[in-house]
Amino acid sequence: MTEPILRVHELTKHFPIRRGLFGRASATLRAVDGVSFDVHPGETVGIVGESGCGKSTLARTLMWLDEPTSGSVTFDGQPVSSGATDLLRRQMQIVFQDPYTSLPPRMTIGDIVADPIRIHGTHPESEIRSQVNRLLTEVGVSAQRAGQYPFQFSGGQRQRIGIARALAIEPRLLILDEAVSALDVSVQGQILNLLQDLQDQHGLAYLFISHDLGVVRYLSDRVLVMYLGKIVEEGPAEALYAKPHHPYTQALLSAVPTLRGRRSERVRLRGEPPKPTSPPSGCAFHPRCPMAQPICAKETPLLLPSGPGRRSACHFSGQLAGNG
Amino acid sequence: MTSYVLQRTVQMIVVIFGVVTVTFFAVRLVPGDPARLMEPPGTPESVIKITREQLGTDKPIPEQYVNFIRDFVRGDLGTSFRGSRPVMDTVLEALPNTLALGLISMALTTILSFGIGIVAAMRPNGWFDRIALVLASIAQATPGFWLGVILALLFAVELKWLPAVGRTGWKSFVLPVATLVISLMPLQIRAVRQAFIETMGEGFVRAGRARGLSETTVLGIHVMKVAAIPLVTLIGLQAGYVLGGSIVIESIFNWPGVGTLALQAINQRDFPMIQGTVLVIAIVYTLINFLVDLTYAALDPRVKY
Amino acid sequence: MPFPDFTGELTSSDQAPDASAPAALPVRRKSFLRQFSKRKVATAGLTGFLIIVAMAIFAPFIAPHNPLQQNLGDNFKPPMWKDGGTSEYPLGTDPLGRDLLSRLIYGARYSLAISFGAVIVGGVIGFLAGLVAGFYGRWADTLLMRLGDIQLAFPFVLFAIAILAVSPNRTVWHLIVVLGISSWVIYARVVRSRVLTERSKDYARAATAIGASRMRVLRKYVMPNVWQALPPIALLNLAFFVIVESLLSFLSLGLSPPTPSWGSILADGRQYMMLDPWMALLPGIAIIITVITISLAADGFADLLDPKLKFGAFRRQPLKTSTPDIDPSGERLPLLSVRSLTTQFPLDEVTITAVDDLSFDLGRGQVLGIVGESGSGKSTLGFSIMQLLDAPGRVVDGRILFDGADLARISNREMSAVRGDRMGMIFQDPGNSLTPVLTVGYQLEETARKTGKIPAKEARTAAIAALQAVGIPEPERVIRAYPFELSGGMQQRVMIALAMIGTPELLILDEPTSALDVTTQAQLLDELDRLRRERDLAMIFITHDIALLADFADSILVMYAGQLCELGPANEIIRRPRHPYAQALLNAVELVDAPGTDRLAVIPGDPPDLSRHLPGCPFADRCPHAMAVCRDVEPKPVAVGAGHLSACHLHTQSTEDAAA
Repeated sequence: MTEPILRVHELTKHFPIRRGLFGRASATLRAVDGVSFDVHPGETVGIVGESGCGKSTLARTLMWLDEPTSGSVTFDGQPVSSGATDLLRRQMQIVFQDPYTSLPPRMTIGDIVADPIRIHGTHPESEIRSQVNRLLTEVGVSAQRAGQYPFQFSGGQRQRIGIARALAIEPRLLILDEAVSALDVSVQGQILNLLQDLQDQHGLAYLFISHDLGVVRYLSDRVLVMYLGKIVEEGPAEALYAKPHHPYTQALLSAVPTLRGRRSERVRLRGEPPKPTSPPSGCAFHPRCPMAQPICAKETPLLLPSGPGRRSACHFSGQLAGNG
Repeated sequence: MTSYVLQRTVQMIVVIFGVVTVTFFAVRLVPGDPARLMEPPGTPESVIKITREQLGTDKPIPEQYVNFIRDFVRGDLGTSFRGSRPVMDTVLEALPNTLALGLISMALTTILSFGIGIVAAMRPNGWFDRIALVLASIAQATPGFWLGVILALLFAVELKWLPAVGRTGWKSFVLPVATLVISLMPLQIRAVRQAFIETMGEGFVRAGRARGLSETTVLGIHVMKVAAIPLVTLIGLQAGYVLGGSIVIESIFNWPGVGTLALQAINQRDFPMIQGTVLVIAIVYTLINFLVDLTYAALDPRVKY
Repeated sequence: MPFPDFTGELTSSDQAPDASAPAALPVRRKSFLRQFSKRKVATAGLTGFLIIVAMAIFAPFIAPHNPLQQNLGDNFKPPMWKDGGTSEYPLGTDPLGRDLLSRLIYGARYSLAISFGAVIVGGVIGFLAGLVAGFYGRWADTLLMRLGDIQLAFPFVLFAIAILAVSPNRTVWHLIVVLGISSWVIYARVVRSRVLTERSKDYARAATAIGASRMRVLRKYVMPNVWQALPPIALLNLAFFVIVESLLSFLSLGLSPPTPSWGSILADGRQYMMLDPWMALLPGIAIIITVITISLAADGFADLLDPKLKFGAFRRQPLKTSTPDIDPSGERLPLLSVRSLTTQFPLDEVTITAVDDLSFDLGRGQVLGIVGESGSGKSTLGFSIMQLLDAPGRVVDGRILFDGADLARISNREMSAVRGDRMGMIFQDPGNSLTPVLTVGYQLEETARKTGKIPAKEARTAAIAALQAVGIPEPERVIRAYPFELSGGMQQRVMIALAMIGTPELLILDEPTSALDVTTQAQLLDELDRLRRERDLAMIFITHDIALLADFADSILVMYAGQLCELGPANEIIRRPRHPYAQALLNAVELVDAPGTDRLAVIPGDPPDLSRHLPGCPFADRCPHAMAVCRDVEPKPVAVGAGHLSACHLHTQSTEDAAA
C-alpha cells in the first residue's frame, strides 16, 4: 500500500463553554474526540454522521482553521503544526457547504480564483489570467464570466467556482465539507460528476464529509461513521453499507428513505443524540442503542478491527460481523 | 438568575469605578491649572496657591486620585467652592427634580411611541405610517434646546398660558416635559415601528396565523412580547439622553435640577461641583442601565444566566 | 434630536442584499448610485444637503455682506417680508446691525466643518478600533470594548460640556477632537460586530485555507464587506453633530465669538426674543433643514443595505372575481379541489408567477406528496392553500375548494376559522415557528382554547394529551419548557401537536423534516404515518426529496417552474415516471441503492428563473428529449393512465414530428 498522504492520529478538538461570573470554562464541548484515520493518494474517504457529530469541526481542524487541542496530523510525511501550515495549505484545500457564504461577495470570480495563485506564486502574474480561464472552464463555468460577481451565479455555479478556487494551486487532497448538501438534486448530480472527472484527471484524494449517506456511498472508497466526536465504524463503502458492524450505522442506514419503500427490518432509534457537552458514560451511543447491555454504560468500546479493512467501536461488533 | 444579578452588579461596580476614574482624569488632563481658571484673572499667586491647596491639586496626581476615590466611597464629593456646602447635599437636593422631569417624560414618550409606532407598523407605507414618519423626521431634526426656546416664547411669553421658568406646580411641568417628549419620541417611534415590522415577518407569526389565532392574539401577545424586548434597551439609552439633555432643558426653563446645577458650576468654574454633578448623573445612568439589563433578562427566557 | 448610540441598531441585522435574496426572487444588483437614485426622497435629501454644503464652501461669493461687519444704524432690521425690512438685508439684522443671512451662510461653514471633522475623527478612530477588536480579539477586544462601555456610561452631552467647560480657549480643532472622540464607540461597535460576522463566514475561512495571511484576509476579504455599513451611521452622526455643535454654541461653549455659528446666532436671538423672534427662529430652521436633508440621505443608504422592510406586512385580500363555472352541488367533491390556481409576486420590475395554472384533487384521509426543486413553487402552493402568502404574493386566479368553500374568496373571518380548526400547517424550520418567549404549554393551551372545541378548564389536560399523541416523552416537563430548550425534532413534534389540537381534516407539511437529522426524520415520519391512519387525516406533504414519499404518499404531484409536470398515483410515478423531468429527478435521487461506479445521468443546467416567462415548456432547455414544439407551445397535462397526468409534448407528438 502507498504511503498515506494524510495521517490523523488521536486528533482532539475541545471547545470550552464559558459562562458564569468571570467567564471561566464551566463545561467542555468535545467536538472531536480522539479521531485517527489515514487518507491515501487518489482515494476518496467519506465521513458520515448527523449534525453535532463533529464532522465539520474535524474538517476545519484538519485545515488548521481551528487549532487542535491535542493529537497529531501528518501531511505527506511532514508533521503539521501551527507554525508549519504552508505545505498543508499548498496541497490540501477545502470546499464549503453554503454556496452563498463561501465566496466573498465583493470580489469578481476571476479574482477569487486568482488569489490562491497570487498568494503562493505558483504562476507568474502574466499567466494568471489564462490559468484562471483554464480553471473556470475545467469546472464548467464560462471563462467569459470571470469579471462577474458571485451573486450573478446560481448555487450550483457558485459551488463550481468554489471548487475552482480550491483547485487553483493544484492540491493533492480536497476536503469537501457538505459540498453538495445545499444544492438541488439535479444540480447535486452535476457536481458529483464534476468531482469524479476531476479526480480521474488529477489523481486527487477526497475527504468527503456529508450527512447524506447516499452521496457518500456514491463517491467514497472508504467510509468513516462518526457519532458524538468519535469514529464508531470504518470500512470499505460497499462492505460497510452491505453489512454494518455497528448498531448506529445500522440505524442510520435503515432511517434513510428509499424509493423502494421502507426496509422491513428497520432499526428504530430511541430518543435523540445527546449533547456533546455531557456525553453518556461508556459507549456514547448506549442510551439509544437497541443492542445495549450493562457493559455498554460502563466501558467505552475501542475502535478495533472487525473484518478486512474494517474497524468498529462496539462491544458486540463481533456478533454483528458474524451472523447474518 | 441570582448569579446573573451578581454578575451584573460586579460589572456595574467596575463601570462606576471607571466613570469615577475618567471623570477624575478628564478634569485634570485638560490643559490649564484649575485653581487659576477658577479665580478671576490677575489673582495674586499666593491666593492661587491657597486655592490649589483647598482643591488638593498641589499634591501629586496619584495621591489626589487615591484621596478622591477614598472620599467618593465615603459619599463625600467635596465641598462646593461657592457657598461652601457639601456637593453631595446640594446634588441630592436637586436630583428628585431632575428625576421627576425625566420619569414623566420617559413614561409619556413610551406610551405615545408604542401607540403610534404599532399603528404605523400595521400598514407600512400606509397614510398613517407616512405621516408619522414625516413628523418624526421633522421632530428628530429639531434641536431640543431650540424647541424649548420656541415653546417658551409661544406659550409663556406670547400666550401666557404656562409659566416659562421654575417649578411651581403641575403647569410648570408642561413645557419642559413637552420639549423632552417631542425630542425623544421620533427615535422611539421608529424603533417600535421597525421592531414590530421585523417581528411580524417572523416564522412564528405565520405559524400562529396558520393555527387560526386571531390577529389580535398574534399581534397583541406573540409579536408584542418579542418586539418589546429590544425596545427595553432603547428606553435605557434614552434615559441617558434625558439625563444628559437635562443640562440644556433645565437651564432653558430654569428647572431646579442637577442639570441647572451643573451648568452653573461650569459657568462659575466650581470644580468640585462639576465633578459631583457629572458623577451623579453618570451613576444614575449606570443604575438605570443595570435595571434595564435585569428587565431584559426577566423578559427574555433565552438570556442565559 | 437623534441619539447616537442607537444608530448601531440600524445595521445589526443587515446583510448584503445578495445574501438575503430568496432563490425565487431575482435581485439584480446595479451600481450603488443607480439604485440610490431610484429612491426619490433620499436623492432629494442628498441633493439638498449637497446644496447646503456648496453654500457653505462658496459663502464668500454668495453672502451679500461680511458676516462680521457691524452697522449699528441698521440694527434690528426685520426680514424683508415684514414691515420695515429691506431687500438689502433679506433676513434682517442683529443687534449689532450684522446681516443675518450672511451670518447664517457663514455659520453653515463652521457648523459643517466641525461636524465633518468630528465624523472623520470619530469614524477613523472607531473604524480602526473596531477592526482591531473584531479581528484580533482577545485582550485588545476586551480592553477596547470595556473602554467603550465606560464612555457610554457617560451621557454624551455632559461629557462634551465638561471637557469644553474647562478648556481655556476653543478653536475648531478643539471641538472636532472632543466631538470626534465622543463618538468613536458607535463606529467601533458596528465595525467590530460586522468583522466578527464576516470573518466567521466561510469565505473568510476559505481565504485562510488558501494560505492568505491574516492581513490579507482582513484587507482583501473582510474589509470590503465592513465599510459599507458606515455611510448611514456617519450621516446620522453628522446630523447629530450639527445639532450638538449648535447646542454647545448656544451654551457659549462653542467657538469663541464673534465667529458666527448657528448656535451662537440662536443664543444671541434668545436674548432679544421679545424684540425680534426671527433671530431665534431662523437659525433653528436652518438646522432643521440641514438635519432633515442628511437624515433622508442616511435613510436611503440604510434602505439599500437592509431592504427587507420593503414589502410590508401580511395582508390577505380575498379574491373578488366571481367563478361562474363553479357547481359544487352536482357531483360529490373531494375534500380539497384546486382548479387553475395561479399565484403571483408582483415585484418592481417583474412579476413572478410562482404557481401557474395548477389543478389537483385531494380526498379525505389521502396523502398527496408535492415534489420539486427550489423555485418550483411547491411552498408557495402550500401557502396559497393556507391563504398565508407573504406580501406581495397573491392568488390571482383559480379556485381552492375546501369542502365546498372557495378559500381564495371567503372572508378573512371565515378563513381564520378554517385555519387551525379544519386545516393546519407545519413549516420547515420548527425553531422559527414557535414563539420564542412563550412556553410550549402556553402556546398549546392558547390554541386549544381558540378552537372552542375544548373547555377552558381542560386546556392544560388537552395540551398534555396533544404532546403525548405526537410521542413526546415527559410531556409535563416539555409543557413548561421554552422552545429554545428543545431539540429540533422535539420542536417539530410540538408544532405537530399544535396543529393537531384543533383536530383538522387537512394538514399541509412544508418540508417538515428537511431541517432534521435522518434518524429524527425517520421517527417523525413514523409519527405522522400513525397520526394519519388513526385520525383519517388528509395531508399535503411538500418536499424536495421524492424518496420520502415512496411509502407515505397516495399520490404525487411533481412541479416544475410553478406548473404541473406530472401527477398520479405514488407507486406509478416512482416505478414508471412519464415526464422527462420526473424521470431525471428520480434518477438523481436513487444513490443509496446504486453502487457508485458509473457517471450519474443528470439534468444539465439550473432550476428555472421564474421572472422570465418564456413561451413553451419551462423544462425545454434542460430536457434531453426537447423538440422544436417544446420551445413554442406550452404543453398541457394529458392523461397517461388512470388518474395519471403528465404535461409533455412527447405524449401527444408522433415520432415523425419529433424527428422533424
